[in-house]
Amino acid sequence: MLITQKWDVIVIGGGPAGLAAAISAHDQGAKTCIIEREERLGGILKQCIHDGFGLVTFKEKLTGPEYAWRYIEQANERNVPVFLNSFVMDLKKEGNIFKLSLINSKEGAFYLSAPAIVLAMGCRERTAKQVFIHGTRPAGVFTAGLAQYFINIQGHMPTKKCVILGSGDIGLIMARRLTLEGATVHGVYEILPEPSGLTRNVVQCLQDYCIPLHLNTTVAKVHGKNRVEGVTINSVKNFKPIPGTEKYIDCDALIVSVGLIPENEIIEPLNVPIDPKTRGPFVDQNLMTMFDGIFSCGNALHVNDLVDYVSESGNIAGSNAANFAKENLQKRNLIPVTPKDNILYVVPQYVDLNQKSEVVIFFRSSRTLRDVKLKVYSDGNNYISKKYKVVRPPEMERIILNLSKVPSNISEINIELKGE
Amino acid sequence: MNKLLEKVKAGLKKAKFDNVDLYEWRSSIVLTGRVNSWDEKIQAGYIAANKGYKGVVNDIKVVGAKTDEMAKPDIYDNSLEGEQFDVVIIGGGITGCSIARELSRYNITIALIEKEEDLAKHASGRNDGMIHPGIADKPSSKKAHYNIRGNRAYGKICEELGVDFQRPGSFILFNSPISELLLPILMVRAEQNGVDGYKFFTRRKVKEMIPYVTEKQFGGFFLPSAGVLSPYKLTVAMAENAVQNGVKILLNTVLLGFEMEKGHIAKIKTNRGNITAGVVVNAAGIWADTVADYATDRFFSLHGRKGVDAILDKKTGKYQPAIMAMPDLLSFKGSHTKGGGLITTPEGNLLIGPTANEVPTREDYSTEPNDIDELMKHLELNTKLKRTDIITYFAGIRACTYEEDFIIEPSSYVDNLVHAAGIQSPGLASAPAIAHDISKMVCTILKKTKEVKNKENFNPKRITFPELNKLSLEDRAKIIKENPFYGRIVCRCEQISEGEIKNTLHSPIPVLSLDGLKRRFRIGAGRCQGGFCTPRVMEIMSEELNIKLTDIKKKGAGSEILFNETKENVSYSDKKLKTMLE
Amino acid sequence: MGKKLVIVTCITCPQSCAIELVKTKDDYEVSGNKCKKGKEYAIQEVTNPMRSITTTVKTIFKDFPRLPVKTDKEIPLNDTFLFMEEINSVLVKERLKPGDIVLKGIRNMDINLVATFGL
Repeated sequence: MLITQKWDVIVIGGGPAGLAAAISAHDQGAKTCIIEREERLGGILKQCIHDGFGLVTFKEKLTGPEYAWRYIEQANERNVPVFLNSFVMDLKKEGNIFKLSLINSKEGAFYLSAPAIVLAMGCRERTAKQVFIHGTRPAGVFTAGLAQYFINIQGHMPTKKCVILGSGDIGLIMARRLTLEGATVHGVYEILPEPSGLTRNVVQCLQDYCIPLHLNTTVAKVHGKNRVEGVTINSVKNFKPIPGTEKYIDCDALIVSVGLIPENEIIEPLNVPIDPKTRGPFVDQNLMTMFDGIFSCGNALHVNDLVDYVSESGNIAGSNAANFAKENLQKRNLIPVTPKDNILYVVPQYVDLNQKSEVVIFFRSSRTLRDVKLKVYSDGNNYISKKYKVVRPPEMERIILNLSKVPSNISEINIELKGE
Repeated sequence: MNKLLEKVKAGLKKAKFDNVDLYEWRSSIVLTGRVNSWDEKIQAGYIAANKGYKGVVNDIKVVGAKTDEMAKPDIYDNSLEGEQFDVVIIGGGITGCSIARELSRYNITIALIEKEEDLAKHASGRNDGMIHPGIADKPSSKKAHYNIRGNRAYGKICEELGVDFQRPGSFILFNSPISELLLPILMVRAEQNGVDGYKFFTRRKVKEMIPYVTEKQFGGFFLPSAGVLSPYKLTVAMAENAVQNGVKILLNTVLLGFEMEKGHIAKIKTNRGNITAGVVVNAAGIWADTVADYATDRFFSLHGRKGVDAILDKKTGKYQPAIMAMPDLLSFKGSHTKGGGLITTPEGNLLIGPTANEVPTREDYSTEPNDIDELMKHLELNTKLKRTDIITYFAGIRACTYEEDFIIEPSSYVDNLVHAAGIQSPGLASAPAIAHDISKMVCTILKKTKEVKNKENFNPKRITFPELNKLSLEDRAKIIKENPFYGRIVCRCEQISEGEIKNTLHSPIPVLSLDGLKRRFRIGAGRCQGGFCTPRVMEIMSEELNIKLTDIKKKGAGSEILFNETKENVSYSDKKLKTMLE
Repeated sequence: MGKKLVIVTCITCPQSCAIELVKTKDDYEVSGNKCKKGKEYAIQEVTNPMRSITTTVKTIFKDFPRLPVKTDKEIPLNDTFLFMEEINSVLVKERLKPGDIVLKGIRNMDINLVATFGL
């Protein structure tokens, strides 16, 4: 018989979201553990050696590893148990209890059970093939995160001269990082008419080092049999290549930073409903999914722009998971928060009107807009009006909705951005 | 002038091939001259085919086209010089490896030479893994003959080799109510070919079996014998079992030519030295005509037909229990492909494909946007599938003769050469049956000079390592106790442990590249495509094989992943910073 | 010769103004900014922009071949590569913690290199 260990809250993932969740669940008095598949805590922050983290939470500019270290220390101070190098093979529900099968080298195979689970698995990178880059398949096509791991953790250079596709933050950060390590970055190519990363990164990672940013341009083809020898780039209009604009660029690598996808495969067998827009589960304000007892936070919930928000969501998910484990929740009265005009998505996608507290709501605009007004409303009631000088899809916006102002009998809350 | 030649000439003239000449050579027809495009060359080849000649040799030049060179290993040594074998097999694809295993039943010495650093690097590792039911080809064809027999053999072979094999069955869906009129034709074809257990399903029955099937189907013909397996795992398993039974697999070894003596191959010239063989087996895939040419026996030409397949995320598997295709049966005649469809895999991923396009290059596996667009029509067969389910795609090139049939025979002019050529789809399905017949032919030749007996200690069972994702948690616990490395998952998407990677690195056929590992057990082939696991896999390779990280390759020579360590020989002389005022 | 013009993208707020600067005799002609903060930022950026360096240094540890580090103060952007040259020659031989000094007084300035993660 394999051993089953009982917990109140099990947190899957030991990155910034999972650490925050475990700490807050523990502080609520729940018997909490963390499962981490790598040999160290910290998640992706371990390789994000650049600074700019923690401005919201700590009011200072920390590097990724420093930010992670603070949370690791907090978890250590509380002696939160961590299963390192451990992999969740299966997640099942038995009665009111979740049962996880795990394996690792030390304990072999075993079970953990708990009434509440926090999902904090982070996200993975979209690959070159997933954005349909064609041509040959030589060595030298890397996602930006993989290149970052090679350089920052393993201390090896995956390129001497490269092209970066996608102006997401990791792509921009890598352009600077590669330059500092002596590689040549020919340019960053972005299929959209505007950069996908934060302006700060465009300025400090590209402009500082005279690395050109080519908008409305994409990589059409990779050349080279064994190693990348070059790429063909192409101007685009409405995502379609413009014939005659092809240009060959000599390089030994193509680094792609073309988006992140929340990792939620673990809950597929439970059929937890997933928002096709965020690719994370639908949640309420407590970050509980539509499946009672399963909570989601960080980049597994939706891809965040700032790690501070990742920790904040971990915090919310962790303490609510602890509460759930203690007293089990009474029935929820869920109504949708519906993205209307110019809103790309909203998290949480639902609110439970049986709770009258303040709710943190994140949204992204579907395009760059200037001088717009945000409205949160339902039939006849207006809860929030707020003016924005500018909103951009790469930047998340955070608002607070006070549910005590919301009547219990409405059927949905709408959120929209409109020009004045 | 003879009648056959006149017939071909007339055909070419009618199609306005004014600059094409032709002559007979042995029993084949040879085309020369020039045309303006590759497509024209192919068209001329087909005009000459099936007019009564044994084969079409198409030597027509395409104006302005570059010659297509075979990629060869850059190793030149004499490590094999003087070695003698009873049989030398050229080519480490599924055909060559199946033949090697089949021949390893006998008390003879066998070597298989493969020019690449690993097996199954071309067509055998670049297809959808379908074991066809055998309905697509004409009853008189070798394809139909070998397909049916090969299909029946797979259950036992895969059990012996420890390779996952399933028979999900395959639907030919009807795209209009009129298609049902073709049912008698399908029935007759299935009967003639000997297809096992075929049946018509009504629209409602199809829907019952595949709930997410398109609404645009009008019933379908079900072929329960259709199977699926991983074609590279199978090829490697065949080879590993052959090695266990004494076969030498010589990688990075390319055939450079033969030394001929009066219709006999006296010497086999390779980049590793000259070797000799009682019998040479030509299983050289897309280069089989080149190998035949080395022996002055080129009575056929091969041309490449590229096929692209897309791989869908593993989670799609649950939406479809059987293979489905919806060919346009009414306009199907004359086409050289089965049309493609949605194929299941033992691992759970669905495949869409393949396409079929004539290409002038034999080893260029690049893809184009059109290829994916072409595949999209199959996606509609299952209402649950989306374009974003595609995790990756790949191309393979089929080795086609103009007769569109296999060549499985001893050479008519060289006394110690056997051809297994023109093996395209359904080559994978046919491999066991082809291997059976080829080894009979080889033995017949060998028996002229030596006694060929069954080996007493032949072991058809491959020695396998545990595959952890097939074990129960309890069994895993036990095995991790014995070897803690089985407890450390490296590839998240496919759940492969460090222990399994280590085993593979020390398997009978060495694996020296990341792609090699991927072919063995899909490490890095899942939804993240190696984004997470590549660094760790490289560290394990570095430790186990005692090589530097910078020596690790994606595939063959020149495909290193990393250049140098950071901080070493860094120069900033070419670096610029942004302009300031003053 | 025409006057040299430099455009600076302002990052002091999300509006991302494109601020144009032209050098006059002993001042700068600034346009395109929507606030005073933007003007100050832009002038700083074209005269002496300051940045922290975040990078890694070599270690002797096989399980941790590189240690992430940063400069404890901002340095002139112009000197980035000079700093990098010195940082690239560092070899860490001890198991350090975040905040520990890896290299004191880089380029003989009052700037230290500190560890940002623990070995």
